[in-house]
Amino acid sequence: MKKYIWTRLLKSIISILIVVSIVVIMLYTLIPVSKIFENDPARQKLKTNYKTVYTYSRLEDLGYLDYYTIGEMCLAKDSQDINACITAGSDENIRVLNEFEADGFTVEKLQQFDEMQGNSIAYRYYGVLELLGNFYKKLIVIDHPFKIHDPKNPDMERGYSIGLDHNNVPAIKCSGCEYKYQLYFNTSFPFIHTNALKLNFGISYPTNAGVPTMDVISTGQGTMDSFEQTFPTGEVLKSPILQHTCKYKYETDHLDQKRFDDNYANCALKYDSPSMIQTSYIFGISSLILAYLISLPYAIAMARNKGKFVDKSGIVLINILIAVPSLALIFFVKYIGFAFGMPDKFPQLGFTNIKSYILPIIILALLTMPSLMMWVRRYMVDQSNADYVKFAKAKGLSKKEISRNHILKNAIIPIVNGLPSSIILAISGAVITESVFSIPGMGKMLPDAIKSTNNNMVITLTFIFTSLSILSVFLGDLLMTFVDPRISLNVKEGDK
Amino acid sequence: MSEEKLINEDSFTFYKVDDSVSEVISAPEYSYWKSVFKTFFSSKIAIIMLIIVAAVLLMSFIHPMISGYDNQDMSNINNPSEWFLRPSLKHPFGTDDVGRDLFDMVWAGARTSLFIAIMATVITTVIGTIVGMFWGFSKKVDIVMIEVYNIISNIPFTLIVMIISFTLKAGIWQLIFALSCTSWISTAYFIRVQVMIIRDREYNLASRTLGSSTTKIIFHNILPYLISVLVTSISRDVPHFISYEVFLSFIGVGLTERVASLGRIVQTNAKYMQSAPYMFVLPVFVTALISISLYIVGQTLADASDPRNHMI
Repeated sequence: MKKYIWTRLLKSIISILIVVSIVVIMLYTLIPVSKIFENDPARQKLKTNYKTVYTYSRLEDLGYLDYYTIGEMCLAKDSQDINACITAGSDENIRVLNEFEADGFTVEKLQQFDEMQGNSIAYRYYGVLELLGNFYKKLIVIDHPFKIHDPKNPDMERGYSIGLDHNNVPAIKCSGCEYKYQLYFNTSFPFIHTNALKLNFGISYPTNAGVPTMDVISTGQGTMDSFEQTFPTGEVLKSPILQHTCKYKYETDHLDQKRFDDNYANCALKYDSPSMIQTSYIFGISSLILAYLISLPYAIAMARNKGKFVDKSGIVLINILIAVPSLALIFFVKYIGFAFGMPDKFPQLGFTNIKSYILPIIILALLTMPSLMMWVRRYMVDQSNADYVKFAKAKGLSKKEISRNHILKNAIIPIVNGLPSSIILAISGAVITESVFSIPGMGKMLPDAIKSTNNNMVITLTFIFTSLSILSVFLGDLLMTFVDPRISLNVKEGDK
Repeated sequence: MSEEKLINEDSFTFYKVDDSVSEVISAPEYSYWKSVFKTFFSSKIAIIMLIIVAAVLLMSFIHPMISGYDNQDMSNINNPSEWFLRPSLKHPFGTDDVGRDLFDMVWAGARTSLFIAIMATVITTVIGTIVGMFWGFSKKVDIVMIEVYNIISNIPFTLIVMIISFTLKAGIWQLIFALSCTSWISTAYFIRVQVMIIRDREYNLASRTLGSSTTKIIFHNILPYLISVLVTSISRDVPHFISYEVFLSFIGVGLTERVASLGRIVQTNAKYMQSAPYMFVLPVFVTALISISLYIVGQTLADASDPRNHMI
């Protein structure tokens, strides 16, 4: 069993890496570069050579190509006489340009009429392997005590220590790392947190430009939420600062010095509304609970009264829910809900009003219900023909007893198998529902990111969705062996 | 005295012995397809739905030819008297914000959507079945394919459609390509499971012992068994693809303004849900009608094509 889990885990990780690699390659090689700048207002305002230079430096930031201005080229080729080198047409200049051309760069002379006219630039698009190499090189960021090198603070202590945080809870602190708290506990899920290992998917662009993609989806939304807290200097203040997230700050101002006794003053802030992930999760989980609460009893009743009215009406319901296009169903429910005074967009009443949640949750539940009902009924009906049920009948057990104690226990196994994936995948949000109700969640993010060619965001979301779905299938299998010990995932000798 | 009739050799003729007659087992005649139709037409709902399907198919393939509807024809754009007309005899579904006839538009859209859904289903089913057969049959293929499945089924679907529409330009065939590109693997997976269930049955074992090749076992022993499963999967796929086209148009991927499709109509008219509900409700109703009727006909046909349902 142990061996199976390890190989399966390894395989899962490889699968995730392959999916992400494929997506990286597809995004960087198949989408035309011109698409990227369609939503960039900064570039539209620029003219002449500035536009060209901006385009290439942007593409370099986004990881498409390697870009050099003439000054950078001279430095890269160890030019002795920089002034001669940057003068167009000089021997030194021509030598450097030729060397760059020999390295596979495209050297371009800026043609348009302005002060940069005549200067040369060089760029080279990355190949497939280089793209992947660059992506994985910066993906995993490990924090360590020798990370920060501040010329103003040359002899800072370096090392880990165990101490109390501002809530008087033990935590592992670090001096010299980028983050002050390496391991800490708090009341929010999953209760134990670390800053030592971070995944870096790059920055979001052109929407939320400049913010790391992970922060875009995981930072709270809305306005800042101040709360009473004690700072390391002993100051008690109402502030939105989350002290656990503090990073090293090179230039501290007097406000920072008032609150913190060291340089770790660059902190994240608390917001009053949940982040995109949390928003999607709230909707996903509540709709899932609603769906299970309705479909499980209904499906069990259907299987128990097979062929009777309950069963037939249930089948009609399932068929209609499956056949009607989901968009039509969403608009239909929304239309009815509107007549009952429900808001037709989420932001109308916002996060605080319960009314904003009702319609989306009902819709999401209606979308998950048909397949759930169909399968539970199927399993129950299949089990009811099994020999052990006939035997139980022969023993004289009542129908109710058989159904509850015998059939349900066996039929629940495949349902248990699907449970983790439905819980975990509830996080990925519902694309259409979130768009229709303008819910600020993660489900809406993927099509939005694709449309605005926000490559890093697409990769981030792909990574999250892929890992979640692969791991949830794995968890489902493990849970199934736990519920039913007869099931073994090991490949036995003699199996074909 | 009457003449006596003599029985002699001339009274008899030779009768040719036909060996094949003795081979016939006297049992009620059974024809597979006849039984399928008999079972199918015994359901009243299925007949009604079949009539609706036929009407929808005819309407969507003939009506656009008669009306000659062109989605880019906006001749009434400057004629406010033709805008937002309520349903009437002249315009059964009313007109939209630029004076286009909604009835013509819906059927032109239905043709596009149906065409996309049917083509995608055909491609997916053919590729999926062939791959799924070999996938389920060979354990060596299974080891590789299950990993491929893990990978392909996890690439976000919208991503592939977007990239294809960026690189190949948006269009009907590109959309069909994009839809089939990712869907075949789930059909193949579905078939794989079915094949795995029946591959080790005794009759296949017997067939193998008698020396049948793998291909022969797959196409002669297993494929006929899968007909009802396949019909079920097809009847799920067509409404699914219609739904998906609607979804893609809604999030702004897929087709361009040049062609009408149900998805585009629903998407553009959604904003009139409160002010001019007919513009939104009628296309949604037609979309739902097409999906439901196709689905129920398919499901009944799937039940009917299972020989176990033929016994009376």
